Amino acid sequence: MTDSAIVTQRLTRRFGNLMAVDGVDLTVAAGQFFGFLGPNGAGKSTTIKMLTGLLAPTSGRAELLGLDFATHAVEVKRQIGVVPEGMGLFERLTGAEYLQFVGRMYGLDRPTTQRRSDELLDFMQLSDRPKTLIADYSHGMQKKLALAAAVIHGPRILFLDEPFEGVDALAAGALKALLGRMTERGVTIFLTSHVLEIVERLCSHVAIIHKGRLVAQGSLEELRAGIAGEEGSKTTLEQIFLSIVGQDGGQRPQLEELSWLT
Amino acid sequence: MADVAQLPGVLEQIRLVAGLRWRILRNGLRRKNNQWDLIGIIVASVFASFFVIGLCFAFSFGAYTFLSGGHETWMAFLFWGIFIFWQLVPVFTAGFGASFEFRNMLRFPLSLPAFYAIGLAYGLADFPAVASICWLTAMIIGATVANPTLLPAMLLICGLFLLMNVTLGRMIGSWLERVLARRRSREIFFALFILFAVSVQFLNPILQRYGRSTLPWVKHLLPYLSVFPPSLAGQAIAGAAQNHFSDLLIGVAGISAYALLFSVFLWMRFATQYRGEELSETAAPARTTLRPVSRSDQQSGDALRLLTPQVAAVLRKEFRYLTRNSFAFFLLIMPPVFVLLFTTQFAGRHPTATRHPVSTEFFFPGMMAYLILILMAPAYNCFAYDGKGIQTFFTCPVSFRELFLGKNLLQASMLVFELTLSMLAFSYLVGLPSLPLLVATLAAVVFNVAGQFAIANWSSLSFPRKLNFGQMRGQRQSGMAAVVSFGAQLLAWGISAPILFMGRWTGDKWLPAEVFAFLAAAAIAGYISSLDPLAALAEKKKETIIEALSR
Repeated sequence: MTDSAIVTQRLTRRFGNLMAVDGVDLTVAAGQFFGFLGPNGAGKSTTIKMLTGLLAPTSGRAELLGLDFATHAVEVKRQIGVVPEGMGLFERLTGAEYLQFVGRMYGLDRPTTQRRSDELLDFMQLSDRPKTLIADYSHGMQKKLALAAAVIHGPRILFLDEPFEGVDALAAGALKALLGRMTERGVTIFLTSHVLEIVERLCSHVAIIHKGRLVAQGSLEELRAGIAGEEGSKTTLEQIFLSIVGQDGGQRPQLEELSWLT
Repeated sequence: MADVAQLPGVLEQIRLVAGLRWRILRNGLRRKNNQWDLIGIIVASVFASFFVIGLCFAFSFGAYTFLSGGHETWMAFLFWGIFIFWQLVPVFTAGFGASFEFRNMLRFPLSLPAFYAIGLAYGLADFPAVASICWLTAMIIGATVANPTLLPAMLLICGLFLLMNVTLGRMIGSWLERVLARRRSREIFFALFILFAVSVQFLNPILQRYGRSTLPWVKHLLPYLSVFPPSLAGQAIAGAAQNHFSDLLIGVAGISAYALLFSVFLWMRFATQYRGEELSETAAPARTTLRPVSRSDQQSGDALRLLTPQVAAVLRKEFRYLTRNSFAFFLLIMPPVFVLLFTTQFAGRHPTATRHPVSTEFFFPGMMAYLILILMAPAYNCFAYDGKGIQTFFTCPVSFRELFLGKNLLQASMLVFELTLSMLAFSYLVGLPSLPLLVATLAAVVFNVAGQFAIANWSSLSFPRKLNFGQMRGQRQSGMAAVVSFGAQLLAWGISAPILFMGRWTGDKWLPAEVFAFLAAAAIAGYISSLDPLAALAEKKKETIIEALSR
């Protein structure tokens, strides 16, 4: 057993001339609630895809739970759960059918799959319409189902790409509590979100990626200290984020340009 | 405070809508994959131009001939032709999906009268409307050449007829838009469409058998058609030509009444849309209740206990997808129906067969080849309906070997079911072929199916193309997948045909069965050994596959 849940070394992904992820060295300790931040197009989803087997890196390596993804893909996949960018649902199944399908694909026996599926559907408040197809779910319901599918097999690492997008406040509260309890039990959660308040409240450690490069990594306290010295204890994550990704100038749209509107 | 712009006039708004439709079409062709669409549109435009211009001559000549030859009452046939084309073609093409939903215009600051006017103008931009206007113009020219004094009556009647048609067309169109906004009704529509397409195949045999006896009924019904707009238009023109102005007035009044009636209905429909209409079918939240675990859920897997959990899960998922894809599901009806149709037309001793029916010894293998051709086609793009769900396949700790086994098992089960059904129909209608040929054909089927599965799985990984449920517009297989499918089928049956006839040439009736049994065993071995390399290929091509299917 290793203390690091996720370790990447010079992880790189190139799309033609575009360097989407450029030599990222990332270390996430087991049991951490880890926030992965960056502006649009920074390389967050590409990194998550490489860490979950949806995308092959151009170069570099990713090690999860001490196993090299490239050589132990199936063994790694058994131990991780993923809510990918597009949620990856089979829309012509009902919620229960989808969870049962995923449970069986992870090798759970039928009674266990059935029991966990029912409990998850109830927890996510999705059990009231058992015959409704996923195609007919709202965006928020689909998101909750994708989350349920990601945890049905009891993963040791959970990758969540914008997990709270479109989820109502009630369900989001329950989810946050669930994720908090999972980290207490040693599950590592790797989360991306544009809502910095959520990341600040949930995550103990944060990394910021900008233009494909990792520009900051550490605990919130470390990042605060790095930005504003002793006064940094009052600095919000949004201020840290803006100060880091806005350093190269011209990042924030100038309101003066929209004078006709304001 | 921001400046608020002046609203543009209705004509300007109509121009903007026309521009928007054009840009949607043009930008849609920018995608690399849609370049074939552009070629298709150019070819279709050329054919459509020939069709419209050719019929312009026909309508013009028809009007001229009827009016100059003393057959004024026959003008109604021309109006009926235009009426049927204008109203029916949009209904049959509606299910192929609209690229632009007119009700989206409601987000802009339009008054209800402006919304109504733009809606009518929108209806005039459809191909059936444009073609019909061309044909009405051609009729006016033909009628005027035959009898110049008819020009005012023709202009009046054709103008009213046009107004009535565009109003009725938009009324039907907006109702269809409402009905087809729901997935379930869209699927029912496709099912009816396919059933209609299948039923049309039986029209010729039915007419041959019952055509004469129904003729008196048709003649009895004809007078009742005179109250409909095309007949009224024909009667009005005939009245004007024969100086029976009362007929002209009745025609004008009748068509105006129809136009008014349809306008009222269309106004009501647009007013409902304008006030805001909820067409969404998203499940509304409801009070959560604990759902007891159903016994059927627990027991349904027993039948698949011989398979690994992963293969059984994929098989179950594929079966659910098949039963929920009305288009694919109803396509399963077609092969046995066509076997029935071809058999009654060309083979055996059935009374409707041709005088010199094809021998069962030739016809049976031919029919089996035809069934395989149709039923194997979806296997060449087997991830088509998985869409974004393909990501689940890649994130699960499962090799694509299991996925292919699950998918191919369902396809094979479906084939067995369809072939059995067709063989039962075949044996009932014309009887089965001799035992050696029957065994040889069945072994040939196994050889072909197993061999094709290996190629089809490779094709599914190499040329994936997403297909949407409940949608027909733009739902094409990848061109390369189609070529591979056709090539593989040609190759398979190119090998099979000479072997089947080997028995006849050598005098050993069982020789083809023996050869095919060997080939079938080899094909099955080849199929099994292809699974691991294909799983490796899937891993290699995962980005292309996810990108193609998650679009």
